Amino acid sequence: MILETIRRMDKVLLLCLLCLAGIGIATLYAALHQGDIGLWQRQNLYWLLGIIIMFGLCFVPLRILALACWPMFLFALLCLVLVPLIGDTQMGAQRWLNLGLFNIQPSELMKWALVLILAQWFASREANSLKNLLPPALMMILPTLLIIKQPDLGTALVLLLAGGVMLMAAGLRWRWFGLGVMVALVSMPLLWLNMHAYQKQRILSFLDPQSDPLGSGYHVIQSAIAIGSGGLFGKGYLQGTQNRLHFLPEQHTDFIFAVLAEEGGLIVSLILFVLYGVLLFQLLSIAERASTRFSSLLCLGITTIFALYMCINIGMVSGLLPVVGVPLPFISYGGSALITLLAALGIAMRVGIESHDRIPWQRPGSPFA
Amino acid sequence: MRLRSYMQDYHHSRKRFNQRILCFQIFSFALLFLLFLRLLDLQWLQHEGLLLQAEQNRVNVVPMLATRGELVDRHGVGLAVNHVSYHVYIIPERIPEMEKTLARLADLLGWDERQFAQVKHRLKRARRDRPVLVEDKLPWLRVAPLAARLHHLAGVDVKAGTRRFYPYAQTASHLIGYLSMANAEDVNKGMLPIEKAGRSGLEKTFESRLHGQLGMQQEEVDALGRRVGVLKRTPPVMGEQIQISLDIDLQKAASRALAGRTGAVVVMDVHTGEVLVLLSQPGIDTNHFISGLEMEQWQYWLHDPKRPLLNRAIQAAFPPASTFKLLTSLAALRYGMPLTRKKTDCKGFLELADRNLRCWRRKGHGRVNMHRAIVESCDVYFYKLGDQLGMSRLQAEAKRWGFGQPTGIELSPEVRGTMPTQARSPSGHTRKWFRGETMITAIGQGAVSVTPMQMARFAAAIANGGKLLRPQLEAGQPAQIMREIDVSPKHLDIIRKAMRDVVASGRGTAHARLSRLPWKVAGKTGTAQVVAMAQDNDKKEAKKKPKHLQDHAWFMGYAPFENPRIAFAVFVEHGGHGGSAAAPVAAAIVRAMAKREAS
Repeated sequence: MILETIRRMDKVLLLCLLCLAGIGIATLYAALHQGDIGLWQRQNLYWLLGIIIMFGLCFVPLRILALACWPMFLFALLCLVLVPLIGDTQMGAQRWLNLGLFNIQPSELMKWALVLILAQWFASREANSLKNLLPPALMMILPTLLIIKQPDLGTALVLLLAGGVMLMAAGLRWRWFGLGVMVALVSMPLLWLNMHAYQKQRILSFLDPQSDPLGSGYHVIQSAIAIGSGGLFGKGYLQGTQNRLHFLPEQHTDFIFAVLAEEGGLIVSLILFVLYGVLLFQLLSIAERASTRFSSLLCLGITTIFALYMCINIGMVSGLLPVVGVPLPFISYGGSALITLLAALGIAMRVGIESHDRIPWQRPGSPFA
Repeated sequence: MRLRSYMQDYHHSRKRFNQRILCFQIFSFALLFLLFLRLLDLQWLQHEGLLLQAEQNRVNVVPMLATRGELVDRHGVGLAVNHVSYHVYIIPERIPEMEKTLARLADLLGWDERQFAQVKHRLKRARRDRPVLVEDKLPWLRVAPLAARLHHLAGVDVKAGTRRFYPYAQTASHLIGYLSMANAEDVNKGMLPIEKAGRSGLEKTFESRLHGQLGMQQEEVDALGRRVGVLKRTPPVMGEQIQISLDIDLQKAASRALAGRTGAVVVMDVHTGEVLVLLSQPGIDTNHFISGLEMEQWQYWLHDPKRPLLNRAIQAAFPPASTFKLLTSLAALRYGMPLTRKKTDCKGFLELADRNLRCWRRKGHGRVNMHRAIVESCDVYFYKLGDQLGMSRLQAEAKRWGFGQPTGIELSPEVRGTMPTQARSPSGHTRKWFRGETMITAIGQGAVSVTPMQMARFAAAIANGGKLLRPQLEAGQPAQIMREIDVSPKHLDIIRKAMRDVVASGRGTAHARLSRLPWKVAGKTGTAQVVAMAQDNDKKEAKKKPKHLQDHAWFMGYAPFENPRIAFAVFVEHGGHGGSAAAPVAAAIVRAMAKREAS
């Protein structure tokens, strides 16, 4: 049984992950080698822990995971509600909840909980009636509002987009989709009015970074300089001046892609893109051939979050999107992000493993659901 | 049937699901491709520009000031030298908290409220990416507390440098000049705002040679402006040391002899035109300009009635008085005036139309010839001689000997003095010319005015046989003869002998002060009236005149008589009589010169 599971693991995906781990660890070293090298060592531990969790989850049947959907969602929601009441304030935003042993970021938890609960909901329902759509809409909007309040626009955006993609996959009619987009557009001015000054400033400086080159536009300008100065072949490992001399902001977390692009150039950036592309492709093909509707939706949700992280982060670092705090998957420093990503990857691999079982694809309302 | 519908539903649902996944796949790969295009844009198309920006980010070009060349006198004594001192700079854009840093600096350097405000004001106008000088000329003891804490203060830098020092600031202030911070015009010419430029005197004249060449150090700095390493270094080139023609010992002797009186002294080598003494008193302490001139001090100098900022040797012209009689004599000899070969009677005054022109000696000189008229400085003789000559000839001769035109000395600004013409008065109005005016001009009064430098050059030309020299300020330069004056040696001899007797003869106007000197001196006194002599004005009353109405005293000449080496012009403003006020200064110079030659 165990051997069979190992045999059925997606080897391409694992190889891809191995390469990404190598690039991630090397890039993080470059970003930290003149600063706090202790963080790099700690990240290696996170890798170890994350990979163990990933392989562990490969052995957990999805049936059991399905049972955890509601408890997990409610727990995440509870945490989100608790954040404004007892949360820690870091850099002006309340995002963290102290649980004694460790701090957790409820918004991070909520992303995965939402993916699970939506997969569960639509496993036996089509997204084609108001009755079927209203509860998931609430499941999405309630946490989103709580997260916006924190405020954490990036995560709220990821949450909404991931939910939207899952709704689409669950058979949402295009006209409903159009309606959702309309509502989003109409609510934008409302959102703008309720934004904090620094959030407005970020968006304004995204539209015109040169308007305040030493203030809020600084991050965008410096990372564009770092990426561009790398050129086709880069400045060489540990040779990036923007990185080495600390012109890059947040060089080991959100802006780590700039370090990679500066020192490795277009070549290494392209390698990273290819690895991400292969990963995306593998995950989507797993979702396609998944044996149950639940597992298929689950895998799609995971893929969506991964793809969103990647696109938003690189888009932001290269100046195509406003600055929102989203990590680059597998490369950025950060224990919880890495471990949850690896755990999600483990679940996705489990979906792949189970797809070989001869359990028929369940149509909504089937006795197998 | 149920099963079939179930299977249809199943296929339909699954198909749609996979279609949507495909949509998502296409969409996400399109996004990935878009991001890749952006990378191509940044890393390929914009690469060069962004690389340049990255370099500008990390490379800080730090100017290294060149040490200014020193000025030494003809015997190697330093006149403008460099002392080691420390400067504090800050680069505003590299300072995270300006208020805090400034407060810390104020604490460490002991600034008072006013200095603090000054620094703030300077910072407000300065560029944020260039070093701004906040305090300079600090001795080590004052800069040491700051230097020890420098690594805590990002954006602050201490540099060892030099400060200009003028050991003879008071005696040679006008000649040496001073420096000040580069102004907007200098910056436009490529100077840095932290550099200094010569503003007056020789510091200005020799600016390009003294200045030296700015060095550059390309430093690698991190985002906080801390220096990480040095990339490239172009060392500065020190400015040239220039040996000037001045003899500071002579200058000091002249200054001592003037003893606090207002005036000017010029001593010139009669053969080369080298300026050995160029003194204007009162002087100013030019070291004030280096340590940062206070506004009050500047205002004080500006409004001092003695006008210490004026270089009287070249920037002011005064009536030459009786010294001008030499020129009148030369003109008369050239044009063969009858009176040059005759004697005339001096009764103490000359009647002219409705008024009398007076001789300085009220009882008159009796019968005088040219020689005696020069020696005893008889005015009446020269009234008559001038009358015979006429204004145009007098003016032509004055022009020949370099009056009314710049001497060409390399100091600016230089005034040319005035030589009136019959056609036009100095104020430029055409008007009727009176006979009396020519006569007054002939004794060096009225509208004619000359600078002490012109006077010294005139004396040198008499001594060297008519070579009008350009005054040289650098030692060891060959003579630059501006004009060879066509003058008969016989005529020159007459003048020279008379000049000698001014000193040597018992009746000479300068006999009392100059007869017992190691060198034989030839000269001519001059006493320029500041207000017209009133008819009933006698000498006792003259003594009682307020200072600013007293006569100007002149003495010009050369030495030694037989084999002339130096020519001089001494001018004492409101000093009184030329023989008693100005001649002793010349005596002191000749004594100092002879002493130097003897040792």
